[in-house]
Amino acid sequence: MATDDILTLEDVVGGYGKQTILNGLSFGVRRGAITTVIGPNGAGKSTAFKAVFGILAVKAGRILFDGQEITNRPPRQLIADGICYVPQGRNIFSELSVAHNLELGAAAAPPDFPLKQRMEAAMDRFPVLRKKAGQQASTLSGGEQKMLEIARGLMLDPKLMLIDEPSIGLSPILVGELFDLLRDMRSRGITVLMIEQNAKRALENSDYGVVLELGRTRIQDRAEKILADPRIAQLFLGGGLEPAPA
Amino acid sequence: MADFIQLLIAGLATGGIYALAAVGFTLLWQTSQTINFAQGEFVMLPAFFVLIGMSFFGMPFWLACVAALILSMITLGFMFKKLLVDPMLNHGTLPLVIATIGLAILMKEGVREFYGADAWPFPPLAEATNVTVLGAALSLQSLIILGITIGAVVALQLFLSGTRTGRQMQATALNPSVARILGIPVERMILYTFLINAALVMLAALLITPIYLAKFSNGELLGLYAFIAAIIGGFNQMRGAIVGGLVLGVIDNFTAVYISTQYRLVVPLVFLIIIILFRPQGLLGRVEERTV
Repeated sequence: MATDDILTLEDVVGGYGKQTILNGLSFGVRRGAITTVIGPNGAGKSTAFKAVFGILAVKAGRILFDGQEITNRPPRQLIADGICYVPQGRNIFSELSVAHNLELGAAAAPPDFPLKQRMEAAMDRFPVLRKKAGQQASTLSGGEQKMLEIARGLMLDPKLMLIDEPSIGLSPILVGELFDLLRDMRSRGITVLMIEQNAKRALENSDYGVVLELGRTRIQDRAEKILADPRIAQLFLGGGLEPAPA
Repeated sequence: MADFIQLLIAGLATGGIYALAAVGFTLLWQTSQTINFAQGEFVMLPAFFVLIGMSFFGMPFWLACVAALILSMITLGFMFKKLLVDPMLNHGTLPLVIATIGLAILMKEGVREFYGADAWPFPPLAEATNVTVLGAALSLQSLIILGITIGAVVALQLFLSGTRTGRQMQATALNPSVARILGIPVERMILYTFLINAALVMLAALLITPIYLAKFSNGELLGLYAFIAAIIGGFNQMRGAIVGGLVLGVIDNFTAVYISTQYRLVVPLVFLIIIILFRPQGLLGRVEERTV
Protein backbone atom coordinates (compact mmCIF):
# COMPACT_ATOMS: atom_id res chain seq x y z
CA MET A 1 0.00 0.00 0.00
CA ALA A 2 1.21 3.45 -0.83
CA THR A 3 2.41 5.51 2.10
CA ASP A 4 0.19 8.48 1.20
CA ASP A 5 -2.94 6.42 1.75
CA ILE A 6 -5.21 7.96 4.40
CA LEU A 7 -7.26 4.78 4.83
CA THR A 8 -6.10 1.21 4.42
CA LEU A 9 -8.10 -2.00 4.69
CA GLU A 10 -6.02 -5.13 5.21
CA ASP A 11 -7.64 -8.55 4.72
CA VAL A 12 -10.86 -7.41 6.37
CA VAL A 13 -13.38 -10.15 7.13
CA GLY A 14 -16.88 -9.30 8.28
CA GLY A 15 -20.59 -9.84 7.67
CA TYR A 16 -24.01 -10.17 9.24
CA GLY A 17 -24.44 -13.01 11.70
CA LYS A 18 -22.92 -16.15 10.23
CA GLN A 19 -23.00 -14.77 6.70
CA THR A 20 -19.64 -13.42 5.64
CA ILE A 21 -19.75 -10.57 3.13
CA LEU A 22 -16.19 -9.28 3.24
CA ASN A 23 -13.78 -12.09 2.45
CA GLY A 24 -10.39 -10.60 3.13
CA LEU A 25 -10.98 -7.20 1.59
CA SER A 26 -7.90 -5.03 1.04
CA PHE A 27 -7.58 -1.64 -0.59
CA GLY A 28 -6.07 1.76 0.06
CA VAL A 29 -7.59 5.22 -0.26
CA ARG A 30 -5.27 7.96 -1.53
CA ARG A 31 -5.13 11.08 0.63
CA GLY A 32 -6.76 14.16 -0.84
CA ALA A 33 -8.35 12.30 -3.74
CA ILE A 34 -11.81 11.12 -4.71
CA THR A 35 -12.04 7.34 -4.83
CA THR A 36 -15.11 5.51 -6.05
CA VAL A 37 -15.96 1.96 -5.07
CA ILE A 38 -17.97 0.06 -7.65
CA GLY A 39 -19.10 -3.49 -8.01
CA PRO A 40 -22.22 -5.56 -8.55
CA ASN A 41 -24.95 -5.86 -5.93
CA GLY A 42 -23.83 -7.93 -2.98
CA ALA A 43 -20.15 -7.24 -3.60
CA GLY A 44 -19.86 -5.77 -0.10
CA LYS A 45 -19.50 -2.06 -0.91
CA SER A 46 -21.84 -0.72 1.79
CA THR A 47 -20.72 -3.46 4.16
CA ALA A 48 -17.13 -2.28 3.74
CA PHE A 49 -18.17 1.27 4.72
CA LYS A 50 -19.99 -0.02 7.79
CA ALA A 51 -16.94 -2.04 8.77
CA VAL A 52 -14.72 1.03 8.47
CA PHE A 53 -17.16 3.15 10.47
CA GLY A 54 -17.43 0.69 13.35
CA ILE A 55 -21.07 -0.21 12.76
CA LEU A 56 -20.28 -3.73 11.62
CA ALA A 57 -17.87 -5.89 13.59
CA VAL A 58 -14.63 -6.72 11.81
CA LYS A 59 -13.86 -10.38 12.54
CA ALA A 60 -10.37 -10.49 11.08
CA GLY A 61 -7.94 -8.16 9.40
CA ARG A 62 -7.32 -4.53 10.27
CA ILE A 63 -8.21 -1.03 9.21
CA LEU A 64 -5.74 1.86 9.40
CA PHE A 65 -6.57 5.55 9.28
CA ASP A 66 -3.81 8.11 9.14
CA GLY A 67 -1.32 5.44 10.19
CA GLN A 68 -3.31 4.46 13.28
CA GLU A 69 -5.22 1.22 13.69
CA ILE A 70 -8.97 1.97 13.99
CA THR A 71 -10.40 -1.54 13.64
CA ASN A 72 -13.76 -1.77 15.45
CA ARG A 73 -13.54 1.71 16.93
CA PRO A 74 -16.98 3.14 17.75
CA PRO A 75 -18.37 5.89 15.46
CA ARG A 76 -18.12 8.62 18.10
CA GLN A 77 -14.36 8.08 18.32
CA LEU A 78 -13.95 7.83 14.55
CA ILE A 79 -15.68 11.18 14.16
CA ALA A 80 -13.18 12.66 16.58
CA ASP A 81 -10.41 11.03 14.52
CA GLY A 82 -11.71 12.85 11.44
CA ILE A 83 -13.97 10.44 9.57
CA CYS A 84 -17.60 11.10 8.71
CA TYR A 85 -20.10 8.78 7.13
CA VAL A 86 -23.09 9.72 4.98
CA PRO A 87 -25.08 6.51 4.50
CA GLN A 88 -27.34 5.56 1.66
CA GLY A 89 -30.92 6.84 1.60
CA ARG A 90 -32.54 9.54 3.71
CA ASN A 91 -30.76 10.08 6.99
CA ILE A 92 -32.12 13.36 8.26
CA PHE A 93 -34.38 13.80 11.26
CA SER A 94 -37.44 14.87 9.32
CA GLU A 95 -39.31 16.19 12.37
CA LEU A 96 -36.50 18.44 13.57
CA SER A 97 -35.70 21.77 11.96
CA VAL A 98 -33.03 22.13 9.30
CA ALA A 99 -30.84 24.10 11.72
CA HIS A 100 -31.18 21.49 14.44
CA ASN A 101 -30.29 18.74 11.97
CA LEU A 102 -27.18 20.67 11.07
CA GLU A 103 -26.33 21.21 14.73
CA LEU A 104 -26.48 17.45 15.37
CA GLY A 105 -23.49 17.12 13.03
CA ALA A 106 -21.48 18.54 15.91
CA ALA A 107 -22.86 16.08 18.48
CA ALA A 108 -19.45 14.53 19.01
CA ALA A 109 -17.67 17.89 19.28
CA PRO A 110 -15.62 18.87 22.32
CA PRO A 111 -17.29 21.31 24.76
CA ASP A 112 -15.30 24.32 23.52
CA PHE A 113 -16.44 23.81 19.93
CA PRO A 114 -17.50 27.10 18.29
CA LEU A 115 -20.90 25.77 17.27
CA LYS A 116 -22.49 29.11 16.27
CA GLN A 117 -19.61 30.06 13.97
CA ARG A 118 -19.53 26.65 12.34
CA MET A 119 -23.28 26.70 11.75
CA GLU A 120 -22.97 30.12 10.15
CA ALA A 121 -20.11 28.92 7.95
CA ALA A 122 -22.11 25.88 6.86
CA MET A 123 -25.12 28.03 6.01
CA ASP A 124 -22.90 30.44 4.07
CA ARG A 125 -21.72 27.53 2.03
CA PHE A 126 -25.20 26.06 1.56
CA PRO A 127 -27.48 29.10 1.28
CA VAL A 128 -30.60 26.98 0.90
CA LEU A 129 -30.05 25.69 4.43
CA ARG A 130 -30.01 29.24 5.77
CA LYS A 131 -33.16 30.09 3.86
CA LYS A 132 -34.97 27.09 5.31
CA ALA A 133 -33.14 26.92 8.66
CA GLY A 134 -36.30 27.14 10.77
CA GLN A 135 -38.40 24.75 8.71
CA GLN A 136 -38.94 21.08 9.43
CA ALA A 137 -36.32 19.11 7.53
CA SER A 138 -39.10 17.06 5.92
CA THR A 139 -40.00 20.11 3.81
CA LEU A 140 -36.66 19.96 1.95
CA SER A 141 -36.50 18.39 -1.51
CA GLY A 142 -34.54 15.19 -1.99
CA GLY A 143 -31.50 17.05 -3.28
CA GLU A 144 -31.63 19.58 -0.43
CA GLN A 145 -31.86 16.77 2.09
CA LYS A 146 -28.69 15.21 0.65
CA MET A 147 -26.98 18.64 0.85
CA LEU A 148 -28.07 18.87 4.48
CA GLU A 149 -26.58 15.46 5.19
CA ILE A 150 -23.30 16.45 3.57
CA ALA A 151 -23.23 19.82 5.35
CA ARG A 152 -23.93 18.00 8.63
CA GLY A 153 -21.07 15.61 7.91
CA LEU A 154 -18.73 18.55 7.28
CA MET A 155 -19.54 20.29 10.58
CA LEU A 156 -16.49 18.86 12.37
CA ASP A 157 -14.03 19.37 9.49
CA PRO A 158 -13.46 15.71 8.65
CA LYS A 159 -10.35 14.51 6.84
CA LEU A 160 -12.26 11.69 5.17
CA MET A 161 -15.87 11.43 4.08
CA LEU A 162 -17.44 8.04 3.37
CA ILE A 163 -20.46 8.66 1.19
CA ASP A 164 -22.74 5.85 0.03
CA GLU A 165 -24.82 6.25 -3.15
CA PRO A 166 -25.23 10.02 -2.86
CA SER A 167 -26.78 10.43 -6.31
CA ILE A 168 -29.68 8.03 -5.77
CA GLY A 169 -33.01 9.67 -6.58
CA LEU A 170 -31.44 12.94 -7.75
CA SER A 171 -32.07 14.55 -11.14
CA PRO A 172 -29.14 14.62 -13.61
CA ILE A 173 -28.60 18.34 -12.92
CA LEU A 174 -28.46 17.75 -9.17
CA VAL A 175 -26.08 14.85 -9.67
CA GLY A 176 -23.81 17.27 -11.51
CA GLU A 177 -24.01 19.74 -8.62
CA LEU A 178 -23.28 16.94 -6.18
CA PHE A 179 -20.10 15.93 -7.99
CA ASP A 180 -19.09 19.61 -8.17
CA LEU A 181 -19.50 19.73 -4.41
CA LEU A 182 -17.38 16.61 -3.89
CA ARG A 183 -14.64 18.07 -6.10
CA ASP A 184 -14.83 21.30 -4.14
CA MET A 185 -14.37 19.29 -0.93
CA ARG A 186 -11.32 17.63 -2.48
CA SER A 187 -9.86 21.05 -3.29
CA ARG A 188 -10.19 21.85 0.42
CA GLY A 189 -8.16 18.78 1.27
CA ILE A 190 -10.96 16.40 2.19
CA THR A 191 -10.54 12.84 1.00
CA VAL A 192 -13.72 11.37 -0.44
CA LEU A 193 -14.52 7.68 -0.61
CA MET A 194 -17.75 7.11 -2.46
CA ILE A 195 -19.95 4.22 -3.52
CA GLU A 196 -21.89 4.81 -6.72
CA GLN A 197 -24.34 2.78 -8.72
CA ASN A 198 -23.84 5.20 -11.63
CA ALA A 199 -20.31 3.89 -12.10
CA LYS A 200 -19.40 5.67 -15.32
CA ARG A 201 -20.40 9.12 -14.18
CA ALA A 202 -18.82 8.62 -10.75
CA LEU A 203 -15.51 7.40 -12.16
CA GLU A 204 -15.42 10.35 -14.55
CA ASN A 205 -15.47 12.56 -11.47
CA SER A 206 -12.98 10.50 -9.47
CA ASP A 207 -9.23 10.11 -9.27
CA TYR A 208 -9.20 6.45 -8.33
CA GLY A 209 -11.50 3.49 -8.54
CA VAL A 210 -11.84 0.25 -6.62
CA VAL A 211 -13.80 -2.63 -8.08
CA LEU A 212 -15.21 -5.12 -5.58
CA GLU A 213 -16.60 -8.53 -6.26
CA LEU A 214 -17.74 -11.08 -3.68
CA GLY A 215 -16.17 -9.16 -0.82
CA ARG A 216 -12.71 -8.81 -2.36
CA THR A 217 -10.92 -6.20 -4.38
CA ARG A 218 -10.68 -7.22 -8.02
CA ILE A 219 -9.22 -4.06 -9.49
CA GLN A 220 -7.71 -0.96 -7.94
CA ASP A 221 -6.40 1.68 -10.28
CA ARG A 222 -6.71 5.23 -11.55
CA ALA A 223 -10.30 6.03 -12.44
CA GLU A 224 -9.66 6.60 -16.15
CA LYS A 225 -7.95 3.24 -16.47
CA ILE A 226 -10.88 1.49 -14.88
CA LEU A 227 -13.24 3.33 -17.19
CA ALA A 228 -11.24 2.04 -20.15
CA ASP A 229 -11.03 -1.51 -18.84
CA PRO A 230 -13.19 -3.85 -20.96
CA ARG A 231 -13.64 -6.20 -18.00
CA ILE A 232 -15.75 -3.60 -16.17
CA ALA A 233 -18.59 -3.72 -18.68
CA GLN A 234 -18.55 -7.47 -18.39
CA LEU A 235 -18.71 -7.32 -14.62
CA PHE A 236 -21.77 -5.09 -14.67
CA LEU A 237 -23.48 -7.12 -17.34
CA GLY A 238 -23.23 -10.13 -15.07
CA GLY A 239 -21.20 -13.28 -15.22
CA GLY A 240 -18.41 -11.93 -13.05
CA LEU A 241 -14.80 -11.45 -13.95
CA GLU A 242 -12.62 -14.10 -15.54
CA PRO A 243 -10.01 -15.36 -13.09
CA ALA A 244 -7.29 -12.75 -13.01
CA PRO A 245 -4.21 -13.83 -14.91
CA ALA A 246 -1.48 -14.98 -12.57
CA MET B 1 -72.74 24.61 33.70
CA ALA B 2 -71.01 25.02 37.04
CA ASP B 3 -71.15 21.25 37.49
CA PHE B 4 -69.73 20.77 34.05
CA ILE B 5 -66.75 23.05 34.67
CA GLN B 6 -66.15 21.42 38.01
CA LEU B 7 -66.13 17.96 36.45
CA LEU B 8 -64.00 19.09 33.55
CA ILE B 9 -61.32 20.52 35.83
CA ALA B 10 -61.37 17.44 38.05
CA GLY B 11 -61.15 15.28 34.94
CA LEU B 12 -58.27 17.27 33.52
CA ALA B 13 -56.47 17.02 36.86
CA THR B 14 -56.71 13.20 37.01
CA GLY B 15 -56.00 13.13 33.29
CA GLY B 16 -52.87 15.17 33.85
CA ILE B 17 -51.58 12.53 36.24
CA TYR B 18 -52.32 9.77 33.70
CA ALA B 19 -50.55 11.93 31.14
CA LEU B 20 -47.37 12.12 33.25
CA ALA B 21 -47.24 8.33 33.48
CA ALA B 22 -48.14 7.99 29.79
CA VAL B 23 -45.45 10.46 28.69
CA GLY B 24 -42.81 8.44 30.53
CA PHE B 25 -44.22 5.32 28.98
CA THR B 26 -43.89 6.65 25.41
CA LEU B 27 -40.42 8.11 26.10
CA LEU B 28 -39.15 4.66 27.05
CA TRP B 29 -40.79 3.17 24.00
CA GLN B 30 -39.37 5.77 21.64
CA THR B 31 -35.76 5.59 22.76
CA SER B 32 -35.41 1.94 23.68
CA GLN B 33 -38.48 -0.02 22.49
CA THR B 34 -39.26 -0.74 26.12
CA ILE B 35 -42.96 -1.32 26.77
CA ASN B 36 -43.04 -0.99 30.52
CA PHE B 37 -46.02 -2.86 31.91
CA ALA B 38 -44.78 -2.04 35.39
CA GLN B 39 -45.39 1.69 34.79
CA GLY B 40 -48.39 1.69 37.17
CA GLU B 41 -46.28 0.08 39.91
CA PHE B 42 -43.62 2.68 39.11
CA VAL B 43 -46.17 5.29 40.24
CA MET B 44 -47.23 3.25 43.25
CA LEU B 45 -43.74 2.64 44.68
CA PRO B 46 -42.38 6.19 45.16
CA ALA B 47 -45.31 6.97 47.47
CA PHE B 48 -44.02 4.24 49.76
CA PHE B 49 -40.49 5.64 49.46
CA VAL B 50 -41.91 8.89 50.86
CA LEU B 51 -43.81 7.10 53.63
CA ILE B 52 -40.72 5.08 54.59
CA GLY B 53 -38.65 8.26 54.72
CA MET B 54 -41.20 9.90 56.99
CA SER B 55 -42.06 7.02 59.32
CA PHE B 56 -38.78 5.07 59.51
CA PHE B 57 -36.29 7.91 59.23
CA GLY B 58 -38.40 10.69 60.72
CA MET B 59 -37.86 12.99 57.74
CA PRO B 60 -40.15 15.95 57.14
CA PHE B 61 -42.43 15.53 54.12
CA TRP B 62 -40.38 17.65 51.71
CA LEU B 63 -37.12 15.91 52.60
CA ALA B 64 -38.78 12.52 52.21
CA CYS B 65 -39.91 13.64 48.75
CA VAL B 66 -36.38 14.62 47.74
CA ALA B 67 -35.02 11.32 49.06
CA ALA B 68 -37.78 9.42 47.27
CA LEU B 69 -36.98 11.23 44.02
CA ILE B 70 -33.31 10.27 44.26
CA LEU B 71 -34.20 6.71 45.22
CA SER B 72 -36.68 6.50 42.31
CA MET B 73 -34.08 7.67 39.83
CA ILE B 74 -31.61 5.10 41.13
CA THR B 75 -33.99 2.13 41.29
CA LEU B 76 -36.74 2.85 38.73
CA GLY B 77 -34.36 4.65 36.38
CA PHE B 78 -30.78 3.40 36.52
CA MET B 79 -31.22 -0.08 37.97
CA PHE B 80 -34.35 -0.81 35.93
CA LYS B 81 -32.37 -0.09 32.75
CA LYS B 82 -29.13 -1.81 33.70
CA LEU B 83 -30.48 -4.89 35.45
CA LEU B 84 -33.66 -5.61 33.52
CA VAL B 85 -34.01 -3.74 30.23
CA ASP B 86 -30.45 -4.02 28.90
CA PRO B 87 -30.09 -7.79 29.45
CA MET B 88 -33.63 -8.55 28.23
CA LEU B 89 -33.71 -6.27 25.19
CA ASN B 90 -31.20 -8.51 23.40
CA HIS B 91 -33.86 -11.21 23.40
CA GLY B 92 -36.48 -8.99 21.77
CA THR B 93 -39.39 -6.80 22.74
CA LEU B 94 -41.76 -9.54 23.85
CA PRO B 95 -39.44 -11.15 26.44
CA LEU B 96 -38.84 -7.64 27.79
CA VAL B 97 -42.58 -6.99 28.04
CA ILE B 98 -43.02 -10.23 29.97
CA ALA B 99 -40.11 -9.31 32.22
CA THR B 100 -41.76 -5.95 33.06
CA ILE B 101 -44.99 -7.77 33.88
CA GLY B 102 -42.96 -9.96 36.22
CA LEU B 103 -41.37 -6.88 37.75
CA ALA B 104 -44.83 -5.37 38.29
CA ILE B 105 -45.91 -8.45 40.26
CA LEU B 106 -42.68 -8.42 42.24
CA MET B 107 -43.08 -4.76 43.17
CA LYS B 108 -46.73 -5.13 44.10
CA GLU B 109 -46.26 -8.23 46.21
CA GLY B 110 -43.05 -6.86 47.67
CA VAL B 111 -44.84 -3.77 48.96
CA ARG B 112 -47.65 -5.91 50.36
CA GLU B 113 -45.14 -8.13 52.19
CA PHE B 114 -43.23 -5.19 53.54
CA TYR B 115 -45.91 -2.59 54.19
CA GLY B 116 -49.10 -4.62 54.31
CA ALA B 117 -52.28 -4.51 52.29
CA ASP B 118 -53.76 -1.43 53.97
CA ALA B 119 -54.29 1.91 52.29
CA TRP B 120 -52.07 4.48 53.99
CA PRO B 121 -52.92 8.15 54.17
CA PHE B 122 -50.57 10.41 52.25
CA PRO B 123 -49.93 14.12 52.86
CA PRO B 124 -51.87 16.26 50.37
CA LEU B 125 -50.20 19.10 48.50
CA ALA B 126 -53.04 21.47 49.39
CA GLU B 127 -55.81 21.95 51.89
CA ALA B 128 -59.15 20.48 50.90
CA THR B 129 -60.67 23.87 50.09
CA ASN B 130 -62.57 25.12 47.09
CA VAL B 131 -61.96 28.11 44.89
CA THR B 132 -64.97 29.67 43.20
CA VAL B 133 -64.43 30.51 39.54
CA LEU B 134 -67.37 31.61 37.35
CA GLY B 135 -69.80 30.17 39.88
CA ALA B 136 -68.11 26.77 39.89
CA ALA B 137 -66.59 25.54 43.12
CA LEU B 138 -63.25 24.11 41.98
CA SER B 139 -61.14 22.06 44.33
CA LEU B 140 -57.84 23.76 45.04
CA GLN B 141 -56.18 20.35 44.88
CA SER B 142 -57.38 19.78 41.31
CA LEU B 143 -56.11 23.19 40.24
CA ILE B 144 -52.72 22.58 41.83
CA ILE B 145 -52.44 19.16 40.22
CA LEU B 146 -53.32 20.65 36.86
CA GLY B 147 -50.82 23.47 37.33
CA ILE B 148 -47.98 21.15 38.33
CA THR B 149 -48.73 18.79 35.46
CA ILE B 150 -48.72 21.59 32.90
CA GLY B 151 -45.53 22.95 34.42
CA ALA B 152 -43.82 19.56 34.25
CA VAL B 153 -44.85 18.92 30.66
CA VAL B 154 -43.80 22.40 29.54
CA ALA B 155 -40.45 22.03 31.33
CA LEU B 156 -39.88 18.65 29.69
CA GLN B 157 -40.78 20.05 26.29
CA LEU B 158 -38.44 23.01 26.78
CA PHE B 159 -35.66 20.65 27.74
CA LEU B 160 -36.25 18.35 24.76
CA SER B 161 -36.41 21.04 22.10
CA GLY B 162 -34.55 23.90 23.75
CA THR B 163 -31.28 22.26 24.77
CA ARG B 164 -28.64 20.45 22.75
CA THR B 165 -28.89 17.39 25.00
CA GLY B 166 -32.66 17.40 24.58
CA ARG B 167 -32.35 17.52 20.82
CA GLN B 168 -29.84 14.68 20.91
CA MET B 169 -32.40 12.71 22.90
CA GLN B 170 -35.04 13.49 20.27
CA ALA B 171 -32.66 12.41 17.52
CA THR B 172 -32.04 9.17 19.40
CA ALA B 173 -35.78 8.57 19.64
CA LEU B 174 -36.43 9.44 15.99
CA ASN B 175 -33.65 7.37 14.47
CA PRO B 176 -31.13 5.66 16.74
CA SER B 177 -28.95 4.34 13.92
CA VAL B 178 -28.43 7.78 12.36
CA ALA B 179 -27.91 9.22 15.84
CA ARG B 180 -25.11 6.72 16.41
CA ILE B 181 -23.50 7.57 13.06
CA LEU B 182 -23.39 11.23 14.10
CA GLY B 183 -21.58 10.31 17.28
CA ILE B 184 -24.51 11.05 19.58
CA PRO B 185 -23.89 9.06 22.79
CA VAL B 186 -27.02 7.01 22.23
CA GLU B 187 -26.61 4.85 25.34
CA ARG B 188 -26.36 7.90 27.57
CA MET B 189 -29.40 9.50 25.92
CA ILE B 190 -31.42 6.34 26.55
CA LEU B 191 -30.31 6.35 30.19
CA TYR B 192 -31.50 9.99 30.48
CA THR B 193 -34.98 8.98 29.31
CA PHE B 194 -35.08 6.31 32.02
CA LEU B 195 -34.12 8.92 34.61
CA ILE B 196 -36.74 11.34 33.28
CA ASN B 197 -39.33 8.56 33.44
CA ALA B 198 -38.36 7.91 37.07
CA ALA B 199 -38.84 11.59 37.87
CA LEU B 200 -42.20 11.68 36.07
CA VAL B 201 -43.58 8.67 37.96
CA MET B 202 -42.37 10.19 41.23
CA LEU B 203 -44.26 13.37 40.41
CA ALA B 204 -47.35 11.40 39.42
CA ALA B 205 -47.12 9.53 42.73
CA LEU B 206 -47.00 12.79 44.68
CA LEU B 207 -50.09 14.07 42.91
CA ILE B 208 -52.27 10.98 42.88
CA THR B 209 -51.52 9.25 46.18
CA PRO B 210 -53.26 11.89 48.36
CA ILE B 211 -56.44 11.07 46.40
CA TYR B 212 -56.19 7.27 46.19
CA LEU B 213 -54.08 6.73 49.36
CA ALA B 214 -50.91 4.66 49.27
CA LYS B 215 -51.79 1.07 48.51
CA PHE B 216 -49.81 -1.81 47.03
CA SER B 217 -52.40 -2.40 44.32
CA ASN B 218 -52.63 1.21 43.09
CA GLY B 219 -50.49 0.44 40.07
CA GLU B 220 -52.95 -1.93 38.41
CA LEU B 221 -55.36 0.74 37.28
CA LEU B 222 -52.73 3.43 36.78
CA GLY B 223 -50.61 1.23 34.56
CA LEU B 224 -53.62 0.32 32.48
CA TYR B 225 -54.63 3.97 32.15
CA ALA B 226 -51.13 5.06 31.19
CA PHE B 227 -51.07 2.36 28.54
CA ILE B 228 -54.53 3.27 27.21
CA ALA B 229 -53.65 6.98 27.23
CA ALA B 230 -50.48 6.31 25.24
CA ILE B 231 -52.37 4.28 22.64
CA ILE B 232 -55.27 6.73 22.37
CA GLY B 233 -52.94 9.64 21.84
CA GLY B 234 -50.50 7.90 19.55
CA PHE B 235 -47.80 5.66 20.87
CA ASN B 236 -44.94 7.44 19.16
CA GLN B 237 -45.74 11.01 20.17
CA MET B 238 -45.18 12.71 23.48
CA ARG B 239 -47.97 15.21 22.90
CA GLY B 240 -50.17 12.25 21.97
CA ALA B 241 -49.62 10.78 25.41
CA ILE B 242 -50.55 14.12 26.99
CA VAL B 243 -53.75 14.44 24.99
CA GLY B 244 -54.54 10.75 25.59
CA GLY B 245 -54.11 11.16 29.33
CA LEU B 246 -56.27 14.28 29.52
CA VAL B 247 -59.01 12.79 27.34
CA LEU B 248 -59.01 9.66 29.47
CA GLY B 249 -59.23 11.63 32.72
CA VAL B 250 -62.18 13.66 31.45
CA ILE B 251 -63.99 10.60 30.08
CA ASP B 252 -63.35 8.83 33.37
CA ASN B 253 -64.92 11.63 35.42
CA PHE B 254 -67.89 12.26 33.15
CA THR B 255 -68.66 8.55 32.99
CA ALA B 256 -68.65 8.29 36.76
CA VAL B 257 -71.14 11.16 37.11
CA TYR B 258 -73.35 11.05 34.01
CA ILE B 259 -73.46 7.31 33.33
CA SER B 260 -72.54 5.25 36.35
CA THR B 261 -69.50 4.59 38.48
CA GLN B 262 -69.93 0.95 37.59
CA TYR B 263 -69.09 1.70 33.98
CA ARG B 264 -66.08 3.77 34.91
CA LEU B 265 -63.59 1.22 33.60
CA VAL B 266 -65.70 0.09 30.67
CA VAL B 267 -65.98 3.39 28.84
CA PRO B 268 -62.23 4.03 28.48
CA LEU B 269 -61.80 0.47 27.17
CA VAL B 270 -64.61 0.96 24.66
CA PHE B 271 -63.00 4.21 23.63
CA LEU B 272 -59.69 2.37 23.23
CA ILE B 273 -61.28 -0.24 20.98
CA ILE B 274 -62.88 2.46 18.84
CA ILE B 275 -59.52 4.21 18.45
CA ILE B 276 -57.73 0.98 17.56
CA LEU B 277 -60.40 0.14 14.99
CA PHE B 278 -60.68 3.51 13.29
CA ARG B 279 -57.43 5.31 13.97
CA PRO B 280 -54.81 2.73 14.91
CA GLN B 281 -51.98 5.26 14.94
CA GLY B 282 -53.79 7.18 17.71
CA LEU B 283 -55.30 10.65 17.78
CA LEU B 284 -52.00 12.43 17.12
CA GLY B 285 -49.78 9.55 16.13
CA ARG B 286 -47.99 9.24 12.83
CA VAL B 287 -47.96 6.06 10.83
CA GLU B 288 -44.65 4.34 11.47
CA GLU B 289 -42.36 4.01 8.53
CA ARG B 290 -39.60 1.59 9.19
CA THR B 291 -36.80 1.07 6.74
CA VAL B 292 -33.87 -1.26 7.10
